[in-house]
Amino acid sequence: MSADRLQGSGERSRQQLLDRFVEREDAQAPERRLVVSADELADATRVLLETGGHFVGTFVMCEPELELRVLVALRGELLVLEALLGEERTYPAISAVTPGAFLPERELHDLSGIVPLGHPELEPALRPDADRLTRRVVGDQTFVIPYGPVRSGVFEAIQFPIDTGGEDVLSLSVRPYFKRRGLEQRFAGLSVDHGAYLAERIAGISTVAHGLAYSQAVERLSGVEAPPLAQRWRVIHAELERVANHLDVGIKLAEDAALSVGVARFGSLKEQVMRLRARLCGSRFGRGVVAPGGVRSQPLVSAGEVLRFIDDFEKDLRRDRGLLLGTTSFIDRLVGSGRLDAETIVSLGGVGPIARACSLGIDARLERPYGAYPHLGFTIARATTGDAMARFDVRLQEIDQSIHLMRQALERLDRLPSDLHVPLAATADGEACGWTEAPSGELVYCLRVEGQTVREAHIATPSLRNWPLLSASYRGDVLTDVSFIEHSFGLTPAEADR
Amino acid sequence: MLAWLFRGLRHGVVTTRYPRRPEAPPPGFRGRVVASAAGGPELEELCPTGAIRVADDGRVVIDRGKCILCGACAEAKPEVFVLVSDYETASRRRAGLVAAADGRATVGELRASLGEQSGTLRRSTHIRHVDTGSDGAEEWEIQALTNPYYDMQRLGFFFTLSPRHADVLLVTGGVTPSMREPLLRAFEAMPEPRAVVAVGTDACSGGFSAAAGEVAGGVDEVLPVDVYVPGSPPAPIAILHGLLLATGVLTREAAA
Repeated sequence: MSADRLQGSGERSRQQLLDRFVEREDAQAPERRLVVSADELADATRVLLETGGHFVGTFVMCEPELELRVLVALRGELLVLEALLGEERTYPAISAVTPGAFLPERELHDLSGIVPLGHPELEPALRPDADRLTRRVVGDQTFVIPYGPVRSGVFEAIQFPIDTGGEDVLSLSVRPYFKRRGLEQRFAGLSVDHGAYLAERIAGISTVAHGLAYSQAVERLSGVEAPPLAQRWRVIHAELERVANHLDVGIKLAEDAALSVGVARFGSLKEQVMRLRARLCGSRFGRGVVAPGGVRSQPLVSAGEVLRFIDDFEKDLRRDRGLLLGTTSFIDRLVGSGRLDAETIVSLGGVGPIARACSLGIDARLERPYGAYPHLGFTIARATTGDAMARFDVRLQEIDQSIHLMRQALERLDRLPSDLHVPLAATADGEACGWTEAPSGELVYCLRVEGQTVREAHIATPSLRNWPLLSASYRGDVLTDVSFIEHSFGLTPAEADR
Repeated sequence: MLAWLFRGLRHGVVTTRYPRRPEAPPPGFRGRVVASAAGGPELEELCPTGAIRVADDGRVVIDRGKCILCGACAEAKPEVFVLVSDYETASRRRAGLVAAADGRATVGELRASLGEQSGTLRRSTHIRHVDTGSDGAEEWEIQALTNPYYDMQRLGFFFTLSPRHADVLLVTGGVTPSMREPLLRAFEAMPEPRAVVAVGTDACSGGFSAAAGEVAGGVDEVLPVDVYVPGSPPAPIAILHGLLLATGVLTREAAA
């Protein structure tokens, strides 16, 4: 089942669906919104997914009335299904239609008490207890290794209970939420400007992607667009972030293979990128750059200097990459490890480099272009085998594409008007979504704003959508593959846990 | 393998000389916020995390343990607030992060003593890290300490997997309910003398997450903290500075 075929078929049944439900005529709403009843929500989602959409997230808007939302990404647009909840506070679970809704529905049940009927597991999830484990495999001579939440190395907190007979991984489950900080709720009451600072701190390693998704949601509500020059600098910061993330995956994989010079070399490359980011804006993570309406300040380094950096960096990278890919003891660990197929990824709603490593062409920068991306040329990096090697290969290709994008974005900047920020005269009250392609996949912010203040924020993060794939990727792998497979995913627990 | 060796040698030494030599942050680096003038209570509103307090006499007090270095105050009131580039921001006391006037005369002295300390430290220091609710950026910066630019091993710092071998506990993030117990267990497994270093604004005070009601609001709500390293996230040199301060704590406690 290829994604392209999915996307090509079924246009008619989707149209029938769109005709059946009322389209909300809202001048301010920048996305297409369909109003359905809570009972029909799961069916409507099914039709959209069967006709080539992919599931993004589901959550409850608490005000002005308790309403469910389901976000579905289609080529070219994001569709929001809205359903008013009745007195009984139940609805047929979306998880029955797509397993991708499994975690989001547990979250909404924990937070609001609303019951998705037919959901396979509604135990409280948001405050996990490290000692309470459920065994997935029961049998003689099998046991559970509770790997985490304090893990071997400088890693974020998450738990992977591993059922094993000693060497084979019989099952690996993912228990997120150990570090859930309640940050989505923290948005309520912040001014739209201060909200951007919080968005930047949901997942530190994709600071720019989060700031940008948030800012674009606010901009869509205000009906303004960031000036062209600001759009270009946003691309630079976002792509530098992507490069740093992908290099970090390289460091971790080389470390797993005990290639110390490889670790040092990729560590140096990443450090150079982090230092460039610090020189550009005063923060090694690009914090405080993106704001609703543009970018906050003049870059501290000239475009020419960034271009010179890119030239040197590219040369260095090419040599190190060649050496790493020529080291058989490294490659052997990646080839065939943690293999996924396109069908599993589509059904679980996977995104980002993980999906692209299974030849799925999912990339928000092309599917739903934003900012300066429609004016810049690049190709979607893809691989076909779906294993750890394919994922690493996709990341290396994406670094090249990022370099290519940055070169284009830095071209003839002096011909653009020098504005970096447009004032947000008045942010209209209402709801809007903003999205970006974060280093680990598509990220969507859904905001409700009232009187220049954020009332509610819901974030569909790529990490949360991809975690279930980690469990699905174990097919005959052994314990020593665990770290390779996890690191080839390149996910950050902070982002899923919020 | 030989190819790797040559690849490694090709670049020469890039490692910082810190703490023997000062390490200058790039111009414009966000190290700390300094209030250079007095003002009214309306200044408190500028800060999204409540790090600004204005005393009755108009003195502006900034709590660096709460400051996330977003620069919102400096953007709105450049005549009062200035972002200063600085790496050496750690403090042994939580109160040391709260300053009205910014007295930094002793910095050279402190660095000299740190340099001496690191030179004479006979035993190596082993570090265990526990994440209790960070945003993930602190982990990157701690991990960066092992790259050739910082190379913390040259100062005798090593990561260890077992808390039983650890002298220093690096904690990132305000403490979430699920991480409280694992954190306490890691701490209790450590032999004495031991030092706890809170890395990042979230670990110092809870930062943005403090008001969300989920986290305890800083590691010192759960454990005694010996060194506070503020910053969102602190740069690798700032963390190294904090670690050196922690070795001071260890040496002092071992002597006592």
